[in-house]
This record gives sequence, structure tokens and C-alpha cells, in this order.
Amino acid sequence: MTPSFASARAAVRRGRIVTAAALAGMAVVYLLALRYTPVEAHQGLAQKIFYLHVPAAWTALLIFSLMGIVSVIFLWLHDERLDLFAEASAEVGLMFSAIMLTTGPIWAKPIWGTWWQWDPRLTLTLFLFFLYVGYLALRSSIHDPLERGRFSAVVAILGMLLVPFIHLSVYLFRTLHPKPVVLKPSAPSLPPEMLRTLLVAFGVCLALYLGLVMMRYGAGVAERLRDAGGEAGEVPDAA
Amino acid sequence: MPPEPPANGGYMTAAYIVAAVIYLGYSFLLWRRSRRAIGG
Repeated sequence: MTPSFASARAAVRRGRIVTAAALAGMAVVYLLALRYTPVEAHQGLAQKIFYLHVPAAWTALLIFSLMGIVSVIFLWLHDERLDLFAEASAEVGLMFSAIMLTTGPIWAKPIWGTWWQWDPRLTLTLFLFFLYVGYLALRSSIHDPLERGRFSAVVAILGMLLVPFIHLSVYLFRTLHPKPVVLKPSAPSLPPEMLRTLLVAFGVCLALYLGLVMMRYGAGVAERLRDAGGEAGEVPDAA
Repeated sequence: MPPEPPANGGYMTAAYIVAAVIYLGYSFLLWRRSRRAIGG
């Protein structure tokens, strides 16, 4: 089923509102992290990078999982909207993984004494980043929409299999990366102020994902309709 | 007496600025692209 231009406009408008609210929420996260949370005794202020790095990493992993699930359904139903949603999610997920990969080394330098280590956890997260890049590069290299949707769905499903492996890599390998302090079998091992701020930051990242993906989805639909209209000699009415 | 935390606030500031630039930069680019796409 092909979405309409009106639905694209509605998605973009809703996305703008949610994105603006989420960016305001991110400002609150900055304030909470800087003013509300205590300074960790051993790591100092650099520990506060945790409130940006961890929620961005969780969101990047969650987005790829979602892309994989949506891609399975796309291969089953062949609904174009699912393919467009996966494409929109990939671009937003790339942004979150870029934040994960930039804030992580900035934290590592004062704590580990080095920007980067080729240890399993870090290398796997770099793979995730390149999976996002590869997924988007693959999409841009295939012109036929159905073929593009099918091929990229397979990549998303295979990439999804990497997600639990990344999360469990700190248990499976000897790694410098800290073990999970929240997503683990036992109760979270964080002071309440830190845990609350982390969960608020994660909620804001999810809201930002939602807003950005609606905007990107709407733009993707509108661009595809315009391209199709252009080829057929007509452009959809923008009114 | 507990040990004094290390002075590494510059790294924190750098990370917060980098993240803000990426969040705001991408949101702005997407807002501009979507405006062009839907024509308003």
C-alpha cells in the first residue's frame, strides 16, 4: 500500500512537534545531569558523559532491532510503508550510533588513558555503525523500490542478530568496557539520582527518535511520490 | 576523608557539546529537508 501525500504532510508536522518537545527534554536532561546527579568519586565529571552515551547506545541498538522486526513483516506483507519506516529509522539510528561512538572515546580518554581499544565490545559497536552506513549505502545504490526493499530488509534482519551479541559481549569476552549497570539480571546498581537521570535521558532519546523518524518518514514518502509523479509527468498537489 | 575526584571536566564539556551539535544539527537538516519535501 502506497501512502498518500496528505499522510506525509501530517507525519512531518507531527514529527516537528515531537522533535521540538524532545529537544527541550534533552535540555532538561543536560540540566539534570549537570546539576542533579552527584560527581562520581573515582571518575570525576567525566562520568557524567554516561547520561549521553548510554541512552544513545540503547536507542541505536533498539532501532536496529526494530528495523529487523519491521523488515521481517515487510518481506511477509510487502507493504511499502514498512520499508519507508525502516529507511527512516536507519538514518536516525545512524545519528544515535554516531553519538555513541563520539561520546564513548571522549569518556575513555581520561578514564582508560586512551581514546580507543580494539576490544570486542568497542569493535562490535563500530560494526553496528558500519551496518547502519552499509544499509543506507545499499539503499541508495538500488533504483528499483521493490528490489531495494527486499535486499535492505535482509541486511536489517541479519544486523538485528548482532544486537543481543553486542549487549552480551561484555560477558562473552574479556573487555575493558564496563558491565551493564541497569540491563542485567539483578537490580540496577546505581544511586537513585543517577538511575532516574539515566531513565529520563533514555525516555527523551526515544521521544527524539519518534519525532525524527516521523519527519524523515514523511519526507521520504513525499520525495518518493514526487519522483513517481515526475516520471509519470505529474507532481502531487502540495496544497 | 574521601579522595578528591579527578579534574576532567573538559572531557565532559566536550562530549556534551559534541552531542548537542549532532542532535541539533541533524534535527535542523531534517527539518529543512522535510520542508522542501512537503512544500511548507
